[in-house]
Amino acid sequence: MLHERLIDALGADAVKTAPEDLAVYAFDAYTTGRLPAAVVLPRSTQEVSAAVRIARDCGEPIVPRGAGTGLCGGAVPTEGGVVISFARMNRVLAFDPARRRARVQPGLINLDLSRHVAASGLFYAPDPSSQKISTIGGNVATNAGGPHCLSYGTTVNHVLGLEVVDERGDVFHTDVDELGYDLTAALVGSEGTLGIVTAAWVRLMRVPEAVRVWLATFPDVESASDAVSAIVAAGIVPTALEMMDRIAAQAVEAAFHAGYPTDCGAVLLIENAGFEDDMNACESALARIARERGATSWRTARTQAERDALWAGRKGAAGAMGRISPNYYLQDVCVRRSTLPKALHAVDEIARTYGITVANVFHAGDGNLHPMLCYDKRDRTQVQAVIESGNEILRAAIALGGTVSGEHGIGFEKREAMTEVYSTADLATMARVRDVFDPARALNPEKIFPSGAACPEVKPQRP
Amino acid sequence: MTIDELSASLADAHRDRTPVTIVGGDTLRGMGRPPLADAIPLSVRGLDAIVEDAPADLTIAVQGGVTLRALAQTLARHGTQVPFDAPLPGEATVGGTLAAGWLGPRRHLYGRPRDVAIGSTIVLADGTVARAGGMVVKNVSGYDMSRLYIGSFGTLGVLARINLKTIAAPERTRLFAIRLPEHTRARAFAVLASLRVVPAAAWWVQGYKAQIDGDDGAEGRMLVFLECSDAVLEGATRELRSALGRAGVPETRVIDTGTRESFERAIDAYVANVGERSITYRMHGFVDEAEARALGAIALARQFELRADTIVDAMNGDVILRVSDLDARALGAKIEMFDDALHDLAPSAFVIAGAHPSRALLQVWGAAPAALERMRALKARFDPHGILNPGRFVGGL
Ligand SMILES: Cc1cc2nc3c(=O)[nH]c(=O)nc-3n(C[C@H](O)[C@H](O)[C@H](O)COP(=O)(O)OP(=O)(O)OC[C@H]3O[C@@H](n4cnc5c(N)ncnc54)[C@H](O)[C@@H]3O)c2cc1C
Repeated sequence: MLHERLIDALGADAVKTAPEDLAVYAFDAYTTGRLPAAVVLPRSTQEVSAAVRIARDCGEPIVPRGAGTGLCGGAVPTEGGVVISFARMNRVLAFDPARRRARVQPGLINLDLSRHVAASGLFYAPDPSSQKISTIGGNVATNAGGPHCLSYGTTVNHVLGLEVVDERGDVFHTDVDELGYDLTAALVGSEGTLGIVTAAWVRLMRVPEAVRVWLATFPDVESASDAVSAIVAAGIVPTALEMMDRIAAQAVEAAFHAGYPTDCGAVLLIENAGFEDDMNACESALARIARERGATSWRTARTQAERDALWAGRKGAAGAMGRISPNYYLQDVCVRRSTLPKALHAVDEIARTYGITVANVFHAGDGNLHPMLCYDKRDRTQVQAVIESGNEILRAAIALGGTVSGEHGIGFEKREAMTEVYSTADLATMARVRDVFDPARALNPEKIFPSGAACPEVKPQRP
Repeated sequence: MTIDELSASLADAHRDRTPVTIVGGDTLRGMGRPPLADAIPLSVRGLDAIVEDAPADLTIAVQGGVTLRALAQTLARHGTQVPFDAPLPGEATVGGTLAAGWLGPRRHLYGRPRDVAIGSTIVLADGTVARAGGMVVKNVSGYDMSRLYIGSFGTLGVLARINLKTIAAPERTRLFAIRLPEHTRARAFAVLASLRVVPAAAWWVQGYKAQIDGDDGAEGRMLVFLECSDAVLEGATRELRSALGRAGVPETRVIDTGTRESFERAIDAYVANVGERSITYRMHGFVDEAEARALGAIALARQFELRADTIVDAMNGDVILRVSDLDARALGAKIEMFDDALHDLAPSAFVIAGAHPSRALLQVWGAAPAALERMRALKARFDPHGILNPGRFVGGL
C-alpha cells in the first residue's frame, strides 16, 4: 500500500523500496539505525507534502534526511518510517546580491551556496567542516556551526525565513522580519522534529577586505587552551580560533601536507578578517598573548595558497584520522571558554583511564571540544571503552557548566543525556512546542527527547 | 522579588484565571494594545540581580528586571557591551526590551538581540520555571526556547533571567551630524550604502529638533555613527567626508565629545511623544526601499495636514514616523483615517509610541504574520487560560 501510493504520487524513480537500496539510509556518519519502510526523493515542496500525507495515512513516521553527515543519529530511522531525502531539491531558487540574500532548497550543499554567490563578492558564513557534502537543510536542522562561526555566529544567525511542511503535509512560512513568535528560531536546530524545511532564505555576507591566518605552536594542549582562554578574556574574538593536538596534526600532515608542524604538543590556527589597517595590531596582540602562555613559535601564512592548504587540512581532519585508527568516535561538547584548560585536562584523564587514544581538533574559541576517540570496532572491549569514555566526557562537560552538544545535535545518540542538563520542567516546556507542531510525534520520533519524556506531567516548581 | 515569588504569583493567577499585565521599565508602553482594565499589573523590576558576570567567557547572566543602564555599566568595567540600543536605558529593562522584540540601529553589524541570547529562565503562565540553553556560546541541545520568548511580548511567559554573549566595546566612536541641502538626500543614501567602513549606525532625520542633534537642511540631516579602531578612524572620516562632498554636501560636523549620549538621544527619540498629540509608527523593510518608504509616509501625513517627524535607519531600513497635530483633539479627528491610509501604503506598520487616547483604536500591530494560526496554537499551549498580557500582542496573541 505505502509503496504503491508513494510511487503513484512521486513516480517510480523517486521511491526506493528494495532492501539493498534502503540499507544506506539506515546510517549517518556515525550511527546505525533500522531500515526505513521506504525512501522518497521528492523534487518539489508539493511532492514533500504528498509524501508526508501518504506516510501519515499509512501510519509511518517521517525522517528527513540531508547528506547523512550527522553524527548523532538524527537522520537515521529508529522504527521504519519514510525517509525523505532532499538530494534532488538542491537548487538556489533566488539570489539577490544587492540585498545579500538567497532562497535555497534544503538539499543544496553548503559549499555550493558560497560558490554560487562568490562572483558577487559574497559568501555564506556558517562553514561546518562537512561543508563540501552537508546540506543547508541538515545545517538548519542542526543549527550547524563551523570554524568561522566564532565571529559570524551559527546557522540560526544566518537564516532569515523558512518554508516548512508540517506533520499533516501542509505548508507554512516563517520570516524573522515579521512580528509574532520567532518560529524561525524554534525550527532551526529542531532536528526535523517540528517540521520539514523545504526552502530557506539565508543571509549572505560580504567577503572581507583583508584576511590573515596565523599558526602558533605550543608544547602541550594545556598551554594552547590557556592561550585561547586568555585571548577571549582580552575581548579579542578573531574570525576563527581552532586547535589541533599533536596526534591530529600528524594525521592531517600525513594526509594533506598542509603545512602543520608535527613536532609540538598543540597548534592554534587563528584567522582574522577585517580591515588591512587593523591586522598588524591584531597580530601583535594575539602573538603577545600566545607567547605569554608558552607558545614556542608564531608564523603567518603568507599566501592564499598557504592559507587554503591550512584550512583544507583543518576541515579534512576528521577524514585524516583514518590513517591512525580504523574507527573513531567524534564527541561534541561545549564548555565555557574560561574552562577550556580544565575540560581538556579532563578529556585527557578520561582517555588515559580507559586506555584510549584521543585526538583533538576543535573550535577552541567557542569552547567547543571535539575529542576523537580512536578504536577498532572489531574489538568489543575497545567499543565498550569508547562508549563509556564518551559518556564520561559528557559528564565532565556538564560538571564544568557546559552542554552535551555544541553543534552536532542530540539526535538519537544523546537523547538520554538531555536529562543530565535539563530538568523535567525544562524538557516538558520544550515538549509543549512539539505538542503544537507535531502532536502525534510523527516527525523524526525518538530524537532529542529522552525516552519516556514525551509528555510528562509537570507541576510548577516550588522548592 | 525572587523567581519563586514570581512563579507563585503566576500560578495563583493561572488558577484563578486572573489576567496579568507584565511590566518592566514601562518605557515601551506605547507598543501593543492597551492592557485589559481588569488585568493586574505584575512588575518584574524587582528581579534586578546581575546573576553572573563572566567577563573571561565574554558572557553575562542577568535577571529580567535589570535595566539596560545597569547592564551597560557592569560591562563597561570590562570594556565590553551588549548592543541592544533601546530607548531610555536608565529605565528600560533587559526583559522588557527582549520581550518587546526591540531592534536597534547597530544590528546590521552586531546582530539582533536574539542573536546574542544563549540561555534563559522563563516563568510560564502556570508558574512553571523552565531553563533553556546555558552559559556556553554554542549549544544545540533541544529547542531554542530563549529565542522563542524574545519578541513574544510577554505572552508566552515572563523572562526571569537571560544569558547573553558580550562583545568588546570599540576602541573609538565618532558621530557625524550632516545637514543636507537641496538635492543631496538620495546621493547621501547612496554614499552610506557604499562606504568601505560600514557605519555602526546611520540615520536620515527630519524634525525631532528637541531630541536629536544636528540641524536640518532643505532635505533634513544625517547622523552617522562610526565604531572602529584607532587605526581605521581617520581614514574612515576622510572617506565619509569626501564621498559626501562629491554628493554635494558641503559640511560634516564631527561630534567627538558626548558621542555616546548623543547616540542615545537619537534612540530615545524613537518613542518620544509630543504631549498627547502624537502617534509614532515604525515600518520595517529592505534598506534600498527605506528612503522611498519614508517619503511615501511623509507625503501621506502632509495630505492629512499632520506634522511628520521621521527617522530612517539607513543601515537596516527601519522608518520611524511620528505624526502630530496642534492639539490632541485635532489629532483625534484624523488619526483613524490616517492609520487606514498608512496601512494601505505599509501594511506592516506598527505603533511604538503615543499617549493619545485614540491609540487604542488604531491597527497598532499592522498586518498579522503569515503563520498566525500556529502562533495561536503555541499561545494556547503555553498559556491556556490566556492570562499573560491578554489580547495585547499581534493578532490577539
Ligand atoms: C567530517 C565531519 C565534519 C563535521 N563538522 C561539523 C562542523 O564543523 N560543524 C557542525 O555543526 N557539524 C559538523 N558535522 C556534523 C554534520 O555535518 C552536521 O550536523 C550537518 O549539519 C548535517 O547536515 P546533513 O545534510 O548531512 O544532514 P543529515 O545528517 O542528513 O541530517 C541531520 C539532521 O537534520 C535533519 N534534517 C535534514 N534535512 C532536513 C530538512 N530539510 N528539514 C528538516 N530536518 C532535516 C535530519 O532529520 C537530522 O536530524 C560534521 C560531520 C562530519 C562527518
